Amino acid sequence: MGKVKIKRKDTRIDMTAMSDVTVLLLTFFMLTSTFLQKEPVTVITPPSVSEEKVPDEKLMSVLVGQDGKVFISLTGTKDSTLKSEKFRADVLKNAVGYYNQMYKTPINLTQKELDAFSKIGTFGVPLGALKKWLDLPTDERDAALKTAGIPITRNEDPDKPNEFQIWIKSVYAAMEDNGIGSDMDSGTGIAIKADQSTPYDKVEVVMDNLQTMKHNKFSLMTALKKEED
Amino acid sequence: MAKKDISRQKKFDTRIDFTPMVDMNMLLITFFMLCTTMIKSQTLQISLPTNEKVEQQDQNKVKQSEAITIVIDGKLSPDSLSLASNGMLYYYDGKPDVEKNNMKQIKFGAGEGTIRQILSERNSEVLTRINEQKARWKKGEISDEQYQEEAKKIRNNDELKRPVVMIKATANASYADVVNVLDEMQINNISRYQIERMSHVDSVMMMKLQGKPIK
Repeated sequence: MGKVKIKRKDTRIDMTAMSDVTVLLLTFFMLTSTFLQKEPVTVITPPSVSEEKVPDEKLMSVLVGQDGKVFISLTGTKDSTLKSEKFRADVLKNAVGYYNQMYKTPINLTQKELDAFSKIGTFGVPLGALKKWLDLPTDERDAALKTAGIPITRNEDPDKPNEFQIWIKSVYAAMEDNGIGSDMDSGTGIAIKADQSTPYDKVEVVMDNLQTMKHNKFSLMTALKKEED
Repeated sequence: MAKKDISRQKKFDTRIDFTPMVDMNMLLITFFMLCTTMIKSQTLQISLPTNEKVEQQDQNKVKQSEAITIVIDGKLSPDSLSLASNGMLYYYDGKPDVEKNNMKQIKFGAGEGTIRQILSERNSEVLTRINEQKARWKKGEISDEQYQEEAKKIRNNDELKRPVVMIKATANASYADVVNVLDEMQINNISRYQIERMSHVDSVMMMKLQGKPIK
């Protein structure tokens, strides 16, 4: 009687609900995140006030390293119109076709090599050395890519394309065949991603090559900068 | 004895402490959150003239009074790469004049005597009209889309005095410097600009200004 019962409270909080929530959030972020693609050269893009976002599909981005090495990476559509894998395979077939028309030493790729190419995000070896490069194991391929780069010269004759122009032509042909060529015409489908300390003449060569291939609209990839005033 | 054992087993707490699990999840979430937001980079749309000769003649028809040429020359020292925009910048109005050398040096950035000030002066007719619209948009009189639409109309209004900017860069210039100048076009709402190659006259004028011997 009159005895106050002190309830012994458990100080531990049940974390199960919390855990549920975090797992849910985690799943969300994992599914929505797009991972940084492995790139052969590290590129820090210059800041700009432009707020337009890079499209995440139907994109050919031209990577220009500090020393002017050029690489290309391709992204297809999200839906089944032109999956990245098929896109890359189509581009390679076109490129090999153009190359074999121009040179006497034809390239003959096996299905296995085509499959390997379709899984590679960024490429950039001379076409002559492509077969050998695709036969390498994955880790050696990455190392070899760092020292390679697509051969590029100043060339204003679209009938005698250099290797970079062959690739551009192949990419455009592959996009046209699948009815998404307009993205490249409007300029959203081509992006130049160059490092901020890349000498301008190296970037200019790339632009000049694009102009030669009649792609005179394109975008430059930049990082966000706040407007000062 | 056996009975006591069973009852003791019943008292065993089956709850698992989820705290470390939550900790780990939070860590992973932070990682993914940072990754996803950082990854999206911006683009700057540009269009260049074609390499064909026919178009080249059209380019020269630009009115001399509206033309302004910006020349970018890099002076980047290897240890100051993080500081973009420390290249040298020059500009001249209208036609190049080697005799009088109408090329002047100018600074990057905002404020007195910078390229931004020069460009906003040249484009003042467009800028005042856009600022009017911007004020209306800030007050909430027009929606964001309407404002963008109006701004676009003003930028491309042929009746207004608008400059045509020619951007030229030497081989010494860095890519960041060029993007920086392209940025100034965006900031000053200049709709007509183009990237061109350095002409011989430009190089001569620039070297004169820098006090370098001309080959």
